[in-house]
Amino acid sequence: MFGKVILMEFRSGWKGFSIFAFLILLLSVGMPQFYPPYRDSLITELEGAQNVSINVPEDGDITLSWEPVERASYIVLEDTRSSMVTAEPIYMGNETVITFPKDFEDRFYAVMAVLDDDQVLIGIATTGKAKDPLEDYMNSPIYAGFTGGRKLSMLEAKGFLTMEFFGFWWILAGLFIAYMSVSAITGDFEGKRMDLIFSTPISRGRYVLEKFTTMSVVSLVVILVAAVGLIGGIASIELSSEFDSNTVFTALIGGLPLFMVIAAFGILTAVIFQKTKAGIGVTFAFVIGGFFLYTFGSYSESLEWMKSLSIMNYWDYCSVIFDGVFKMGDFIGLFIASFVLIGLAILIFKKKDIPT
Amino acid sequence: MINHIRHNKEEWIDKATQKYQHNSSLDTVIKGGAINRSMEEVIQTEHLTKYYGKVRGIEDFTLTVNKGEIFGFLGPNGSGKTTTIRLCLGLISKTSGDITIFGLDSHKDSVQIRKRVGYVPGDFGLISNIKVKNYLNYLLSLSNCKSDDRMKELAARLDLDLNRKTHELSRGNRQKVGVIQAFMADQDLIILDEPTTGLDPLMQQEFYKILRKEKEKGKTMFMSSHILAEAEAVCDRVAIIKEGRLKIVEEIASLQKKTGKVLDVEFRSPVDVEEFRLPGVSEIKVDNNRLLLTINENLDSVIKAVANHKILNMNLKTYSLEELFLRYYKDTGRGEDNVR
Repeated sequence: MFGKVILMEFRSGWKGFSIFAFLILLLSVGMPQFYPPYRDSLITELEGAQNVSINVPEDGDITLSWEPVERASYIVLEDTRSSMVTAEPIYMGNETVITFPKDFEDRFYAVMAVLDDDQVLIGIATTGKAKDPLEDYMNSPIYAGFTGGRKLSMLEAKGFLTMEFFGFWWILAGLFIAYMSVSAITGDFEGKRMDLIFSTPISRGRYVLEKFTTMSVVSLVVILVAAVGLIGGIASIELSSEFDSNTVFTALIGGLPLFMVIAAFGILTAVIFQKTKAGIGVTFAFVIGGFFLYTFGSYSESLEWMKSLSIMNYWDYCSVIFDGVFKMGDFIGLFIASFVLIGLAILIFKKKDIPT
Repeated sequence: MINHIRHNKEEWIDKATQKYQHNSSLDTVIKGGAINRSMEEVIQTEHLTKYYGKVRGIEDFTLTVNKGEIFGFLGPNGSGKTTTIRLCLGLISKTSGDITIFGLDSHKDSVQIRKRVGYVPGDFGLISNIKVKNYLNYLLSLSNCKSDDRMKELAARLDLDLNRKTHELSRGNRQKVGVIQAFMADQDLIILDEPTTGLDPLMQQEFYKILRKEKEKGKTMFMSSHILAEAEAVCDRVAIIKEGRLKIVEEIASLQKKTGKVLDVEFRSPVDVEEFRLPGVSEIKVDNNRLLLTINENLDSVIKAVANHKILNMNLKTYSLEELFLRYYKDTGRGEDNVR
């Protein structure tokens, strides 16, 4: 009867599942709690941005000025990217007005006040067209893996949780599912349990299907725990009107077939390599590679094809959160992909010898 | 002196082996298999070959195991015993030849076959941190067997506490779990890969009793072992393999009769060899006060003849099977560790 292997998987692995589910619950309940203080600090920083003014004339030098801070000296950093990750100092001193030659390329400037040993951001300015340099900073392509390629406002609960929860949680849960699905099979190989299992009249196909069903159920439980936690967390900061439970649930449940694809891929690698290290290595690369492919694909239009190679591309939680659109095509497509992968795993497993 | 005796013993073994080979070549055995096909065949292989890439597992194996017999499968580690067993269960696929169990293809019909087969693997692990009875019930449920009565009965016979956790079991107790799970579903064919490994002598005896009782019930058992005394104690027929090839298939009784027993006696004073030239004694060697006799029959008369003298030490061994076995391996030593 179908289900015996599933029951045994839960019986022997319930501690691991429970610990992970608890961590997901902590993450999902806890993350919204960080939103109010973060929003408040961001508002302060945005106010700080108003303290820096920039004058970019048609001809002549650029003038950058800012509100003085008592007893402070100043550092001005320049970068061509709003992320400021490659910023270099262009000024260090006590002046509050500086001029420098204009460049044809858009530039970003961060003004820091140095007070004793502390550095405080006074504000950011740009020669470009971005209305809000901080918003532009958040929406840099290098964060596309976390923002889903959307322009997010971190002043909104949706923007904050998209960046800080949805962008991370699927990688965290995906790696867990990857680990569990690979080791569910390779554990039986390496633990020398295969001979006993296959001395009973269970087919290899049923064995793989039961393992896959277990991982699908685990994925569903993890999603439900995350949904309960996140909905509860949002309610606890009284922002349910801004980010309603239906949207949270729909955005999360859309990830179910994504996790099923990861589980199926993990099982496929497990039956191919029959070794935990190799299987987990390849499956982790599949998950993390998906994140990077999506990010690189967001860098420019010429690289956009890379997105289509990423599993992340087919779970558009941003579409649910910001547009209220659930992409059923992608959802079904991922389901089909998971079944194709598991079918392939069964075919390969049937042909391969079970090593001693 | 000891070296001299050992040398003589090897000579006799060579002779016994040659005699055996003369009387019972593999061809005869295979023909014998053909004659016996009127019996119900449980396992049948025809020119079965398995290679792991370029490494030989077994080669050109033709063998029949009949219903209701305990068939011993002898060979040292790496000779191909486990390969053959795992081919029977469809755990690995053959390179060429045929193998059928209950007339079904071992790979294509593996699930159907395993409905009627119990198996003790040579090396196996258990799911850790659960009770033994839960693990055995899990295997029972996979076999669609609803009753756990047999499991409890076997656990009582082998003195295994079913409430212990699997990770707390000693090597011997883990082996008991393996034995119990093979027999608990009351299967028609039990395949055992070195089943007594780790069992203490008392438990080994209990295990042999279980085997005999199963045989009485008409069950077939296919058992690999490198313990030859074990095969002699419980098997009806044995096969000996060397370097993945089948060398001998013979009934134990017939083999014992052909190879005889060796009586090693040390007397207080020298004895006259002629006294021991009795019917049934095939070889006699004397070294000072020590006498080595190969006895094929008429043991009673020989013992009585020996008893006419003052004896310091005496040893009667039915170890001819082992010696025969060693004969097959002494040419190449054990240089086949690359074979599973």
